[in-house]
Amino acid sequence: MSRSVEEKKPAVKLEHVTKKIGGKTIIDDLSFEIYKGEVFGFLGPNGAGKTTTIRMLVGLMKMTKGNIFIQGHSIKGEFKEAIRQVGAIVENPEMYKFLTGYQNLKHYARMIPGIDKKRIDEVVKLVELEERINEKVKRYSLGMRQRLGVAQAMLHRPSVLILDEPTNGLDPQGIHDLRNYLHELAYKEGVAVIVSSHLLSEMQLMCDRIGIIQKGKLLGVESVNDFVHQGGEKVRLTVDDGAMAAKVIHQKLAMESASIETETIEIEAGREKVPVIIDTLVHANVKIYEVVSVTQSLEDRFLEVTGGKALV
Amino acid sequence: MLIILLGLLLVGALITKLNTPEPKADSQWKQHLAQENQGMQQNLNQMKGNDAYANYLKSEIAINQYRIDHNLEPAQGTTLWSFVEDSTSIMILVISIFTIIVVSTSIASEFNTGTIKLLLIRPIYRTEILLSKYIAALLFALLSLVVLFLFSWLIGGIFFGFGGADEVHLSYIGGEVQETSWTLAIWKEYLLHGASLCMMVTLAGVIASLFRNGGLSIGLTIFLLMGSNTILTLISKYEWVKYVLFANLDLTQYDNGTQLREDMSLGFSLGVLAVYYVIFVICGWLFFTKRDVKA
Ligand SMILES: Nc1ncnc2c1ncn2[C@@H]1O[C@H](COP(=O)(O)OP(=O)(O)OP(=O)(O)O)[C@@H](O)[C@H]1O
Ligand SMILES: [Mg+2]
Repeated sequence: MSRSVEEKKPAVKLEHVTKKIGGKTIIDDLSFEIYKGEVFGFLGPNGAGKTTTIRMLVGLMKMTKGNIFIQGHSIKGEFKEAIRQVGAIVENPEMYKFLTGYQNLKHYARMIPGIDKKRIDEVVKLVELEERINEKVKRYSLGMRQRLGVAQAMLHRPSVLILDEPTNGLDPQGIHDLRNYLHELAYKEGVAVIVSSHLLSEMQLMCDRIGIIQKGKLLGVESVNDFVHQGGEKVRLTVDDGAMAAKVIHQKLAMESASIETETIEIEAGREKVPVIIDTLVHANVKIYEVVSVTQSLEDRFLEVTGGKALV
Repeated sequence: MLIILLGLLLVGALITKLNTPEPKADSQWKQHLAQENQGMQQNLNQMKGNDAYANYLKSEIAINQYRIDHNLEPAQGTTLWSFVEDSTSIMILVISIFTIIVVSTSIASEFNTGTIKLLLIRPIYRTEILLSKYIAALLFALLSLVVLFLFSWLIGGIFFGFGGADEVHLSYIGGEVQETSWTLAIWKEYLLHGASLCMMVTLAGVIASLFRNGGLSIGLTIFLLMGSNTILTLISKYEWVKYVLFANLDLTQYDNGTQLREDMSLGFSLGVLAVYYVIFVICGWLFFTKRDVKA
């Protein structure tokens, strides 16, 4: 799944971005880079600061400290040049309800030179709204508004696409299509895509790298593969004497184990080690009641990294 | 909104038509005017101070005298032009309210609905967006004034006869009476009311940018517009009242002898309004462009 990142010039660069509102630090010294041709996932529990970061990325909020560069242009100093590169949805895709979907797109198209009718039809087709595009937006469902939001963000062929929880309200088919489309944009057209979401399984399929944010702090940026596999596989054993089993394994196999309960231990080891472990324990007269191989999902890993904070 | 404007004009014309008896030709109008002038002259002689009212009386006397001298009989009852003139101040109030609604909605409601976000992430400066919303509202007001003029003329004509269309308008300029066109006179009045219209619309824009709430901005501005007279009477005895925005809003006070204080003049009011205007524009601009968008 991981794609090499050829160009080292970042499409988006955050430098020590800090945001304080009323003395409270909401975003704390965020620094990371996003490159063209990758899908970057921005992950974090509710209230972590994902939307706030995105607001600063698109210039809706000012930074208290730091700077953000989009294709080398500072969002502070060269707003027009920077924002021209960006297509975005921030929180919910709110459109003019009294206009039709098509009129909404036309309205946004007028604000950026070089968007013709053909391009509007193209993005409408892309998000599969052809049938309903001439209906008033107030009659749209959540998923249809989300699709229209995506259409609006892509209208001017931005080189940086920022989507705040784009899968919110989409049906499985819609999520599947969006994922394929984002991959196509990133890998074929070299767009830098930033997606925020709580849907971890979704991120796992959609993103190349993820940055985890919690309480306004960046906990780390990793490729999805590393992230999932770093935790590694584990074997969980239920035995009559956990302490004894742990000692045996340490002495004979030089493997570390963690005791979960008195009778349950977990060993960091892959499937291939399971027969050896069982063999060793049987020889040492440890009674084995259960053996389970545990693969950590992104979700487990996420909970581990964020300290087990519940997600919605 | 323009339809409502027309509706109100029609209703106004109907009521006026039904309430005024058929005008009778007055064969002795010259005597009546002369009597009127005598009364006013007496008033004028007894009066001390109040220059504004004195000037107003002087101009009325001069115009009446001009009518007697030039055998210009004043029109009886409501005519096309008097209808246009009478509808001016109330209809411009209605236009003010409509324009306040337009500017407040266009600036603030986008924060309520959240559409402002998608608007501000285009390669357009916030200043340009604010300016275009403001100018659009002012153009709406101007369009409304044109519609008001055309339709009050038309409706006035239909109800009170187009015969009155070529009536001359007498004005007292620089010590002598001149025959001018009614169209010009009406538009001069529109212009004087326009100052207040423009100030209130600008104020609505400032409040909308500050609170980012359409309903609040509409309510507050209309409340100020309606309540300003009451507030003024309460504070009119103080010297500093002349620097209050609302004391200077009504520029017609210098035209019809009802000016609030002797030490105020058209130029003074224009100056005060200009200062307020600059403050409004700067505040509105700061509120709109410099603050975070949390919608
Ligand atoms: N206008 C504001 N004033 C004060 N605090 C705010 C403001 N807006 C957001 N916050 C705080 O900033 C933090 C981050 O909010 P943000 O909306 O960025 O979170 P998020 O990661 O997008 O969460 P979610 O997953 O729920 O969308 C929250 O603790 C929130 O309470
Ligand atoms: Mg959010």
